[in-house]
Amino acid sequence: MKVIKTINLTKKFGDFIANDNINLEIEKGSITAIMGENGAGKTTLMNMFYGLSKPTSGELLINGKKANFKSPQDAIKCGLGMVHQHFKLVPGLTVFENILLGTEITAGPFIDTMKEIKEVSKLITEYKFELNPKDKVSDISIGAKQRVEILKMLYRKVDILIFDEPTAVLTPQEVDELLQSFRELKKQGKTIILITHKLREIMEVSDEVIVIKKGKIVGNVKTSKTNPKELANMMVGRDVVLDVSKREKDFSTSKVLYKVENLKTENDLGKTVVDNISFEIREGEILGVCGVEGNGQSELVKLLTGLMEKTEGKVFLNGEDITGMWPDELRKKGLAFIPEDRYAQGLCRDMSLSDNIIAGYHSGEKYCSFGLLKRKEITKTRDELIDFYDIRISEREGNISSLSGGNAQKVIIAREFDADPKVIIASQPTRGVDIGSIEFIYKKILELREKGKGILLVSSELSEIMSLSDRIIVMYKGKIVGQVDGKTATKEKLGLLMAGVR
Amino acid sequence: MTKNFKERFLIPAFNTLLPVISALFLGGIIIFAIGDNPFKTYGVMISKSLFTVDGILKTLHFASPLILTGLAIAITFKANVFNMGVEGQMLLGAFFSGVFGFSFDLPPLLHISLCLIVGVITGILFALIPAFLKAFFKVNEMVVTLMLNYAAVEITRYLAQGVFRNPASGDVATYTINSSAMFNKVGKNITAFFLISILVFIFIYILMKKSKLGYEITAIGKNEEFAKASGMRVYRKIIYIMMISGGISGLAGAGWMMSEKYRYTTSFSGNPGIGWDGMLIALLGAHNPVGVLIAAIFYAALKTGSDYINLYTNVPKDIVGVIQGILILFLSIKFINDKTDFLGRMRQRLKSIRGSKGATRI
Repeated sequence: MKVIKTINLTKKFGDFIANDNINLEIEKGSITAIMGENGAGKTTLMNMFYGLSKPTSGELLINGKKANFKSPQDAIKCGLGMVHQHFKLVPGLTVFENILLGTEITAGPFIDTMKEIKEVSKLITEYKFELNPKDKVSDISIGAKQRVEILKMLYRKVDILIFDEPTAVLTPQEVDELLQSFRELKKQGKTIILITHKLREIMEVSDEVIVIKKGKIVGNVKTSKTNPKELANMMVGRDVVLDVSKREKDFSTSKVLYKVENLKTENDLGKTVVDNISFEIREGEILGVCGVEGNGQSELVKLLTGLMEKTEGKVFLNGEDITGMWPDELRKKGLAFIPEDRYAQGLCRDMSLSDNIIAGYHSGEKYCSFGLLKRKEITKTRDELIDFYDIRISEREGNISSLSGGNAQKVIIAREFDADPKVIIASQPTRGVDIGSIEFIYKKILELREKGKGILLVSSELSEIMSLSDRIIVMYKGKIVGQVDGKTATKEKLGLLMAGVR
Repeated sequence: MTKNFKERFLIPAFNTLLPVISALFLGGIIIFAIGDNPFKTYGVMISKSLFTVDGILKTLHFASPLILTGLAIAITFKANVFNMGVEGQMLLGAFFSGVFGFSFDLPPLLHISLCLIVGVITGILFALIPAFLKAFFKVNEMVVTLMLNYAAVEITRYLAQGVFRNPASGDVATYTINSSAMFNKVGKNITAFFLISILVFIFIYILMKKSKLGYEITAIGKNEEFAKASGMRVYRKIIYIMMISGGISGLAGAGWMMSEKYRYTTSFSGNPGIGWDGMLIALLGAHNPVGVLIAAIFYAALKTGSDYINLYTNVPKDIVGVIQGILILFLSIKFINDKTDFLGRMRQRLKSIRGSKGATRI
């Protein structure tokens, strides 16, 4: 039976067609992966399924009946639920309280806690989830939080589950557990729609793959009859090479470019979040930093980029003490940054491309003389960078907000790499970026490596860390718990270290 | 290009004009209710205040301090800093330039320059109080600047009643400044003060649109985290911005003292006051220097026009106050909507209620 069927489903935003005559069918009890580059229209399509937006034309049939959702509540009533990438949980409440939030079981004016726990426990064992209903949500792991989100939907008797990039925040082991849960859910007759652009997960768990490009379905294949290469090709429209050939290089004789000694800091609550971190990066070396999110990587990057103050420790560039310098001073010394949050620290959405391209370098002679900005020079540089870094923008004078995620990231890459830095601190350089752009960014990073620059690569994407890094350090609770050679690193080895197991 | 033009000029222009047109429309209904012809009344107002030599000069004269206070506020709002203390900074600037004006006897050029500089410095010093509190102790500048206005009013009143009081005057007033500190009237009404305002306008225009500081101010206003990550010393910049704003406010007061009032009285600034008017003008001009210039002249034209209404029609001149009041109301709606998009949210809410026929739980 087809649980979801769309007939010429179309969504337009003004002149822009986000979804163009989408015709698809989803089998009951199957796992369907929907993949596509950023801005291809995956999210728009799912939003229509989930009642967050309305189609311009066309029909959506759920279980053979025409659906006309006005809100997510309607969708849930119809048996269709979504697990978002960012969890919507109350940290101070327990697991069962979160699951039953809004539909509490009451006995008179009171909440029947005993019955609630029983209900939730029943649900947990039914789906073989590893979860204690009485744990506080703030104390459980990210993977467990995701399971709570899934249970929230299951409790509301949802048969079709949509997952929006569910593995972005998980450790490799947690990803495996999630995929296992998918199989269990499938066994119980649930239908799963998985939005992702990670080929491994698609190949491992899905039955069918639908590839969307520029709002249209460009591929609809059985997973068993395809391979990752073909899928990537369908998505981007050409062959994609993400595998970086590993190289053997002995760095012991290379010059130390960047050195961090016993760096330590506390967050606003006085908790030590970066604890005694030391490392060095040599010329032409890529040092990968990995760890489950929230184990001090963000704070480490903030420290190194001048956005946070250390309590102890020192940082050296070429032997010169650069501890505690401001971002602009660091940039002048020859550092470049790719910040973790593109739209918070990296770019200003409401400013033009030109204004973003000079950010951080706007005091330099190239763009500024006697306190006035050299607009002509800036426009020239902007046009050069747009061409050189292949930034796709419809209006050159337009704001950053009109760019897709991948192209916005290219603006940062263009700005930082154009300054010819000695050391690059790159944090999550490919987060939420499509495969085509990832390939491009890898290429640029490797080019810099060849030029003898030092690169610190912080990423939660293990495959990225493993394929690019010469050396990998793993962070856990603010400390370095292990160092692995890039050549010999495996997912399992890193995964264990990330979980704090030495 | 056409789309860009529409988005960049036509829509903002319409958004700015809408409150003005609405206010004039409501004012027109009131004039009609009084029993007069609104078109004729507005006709008199506009033609006399803008299209006669006397009228336009008078309008530009009134506009001079308003351009300055409008700019003083606009520049801080651009950085998402709210200097609500323009009135106070203006008053203190006026008062101390007045003190220097009657205490010394110098060659005119020197004397005028001295008094203007005193006004600017007083404004800067007074603006530094909230700036430092904000930069070093994270005290909300909006509250501090707002409250300091009342402190400024009381300080100047105390001084005007005490040490600097002119005993010959029946009112609470200081001595009149010496003629060497007065701007000469060119023709009947306008003085060199207008020229100074225009120079400041050009300075601020270049500062905002072309300079590094202007770029940084915009960045701070739009995304503070981004500004910090780009190496801008946000709090230092906030102090600069407050100093510029305070300096311009002080200049506005000094200039008004030396070109119009000549002595400090408790009603120096009028009602609602040059600083408060500046706030409205900045809002009307969408915090854009050119917008502020136009809005200030429009606002001054209302003021000049009110005198002519009395002469040529039966409508009391207070109608202009009514129109100003309505304008403030409409502009506040626009301001709040810009900040919170409550109209958009209301529309959404209505849509969802209508859509689900009351089934949605709110």
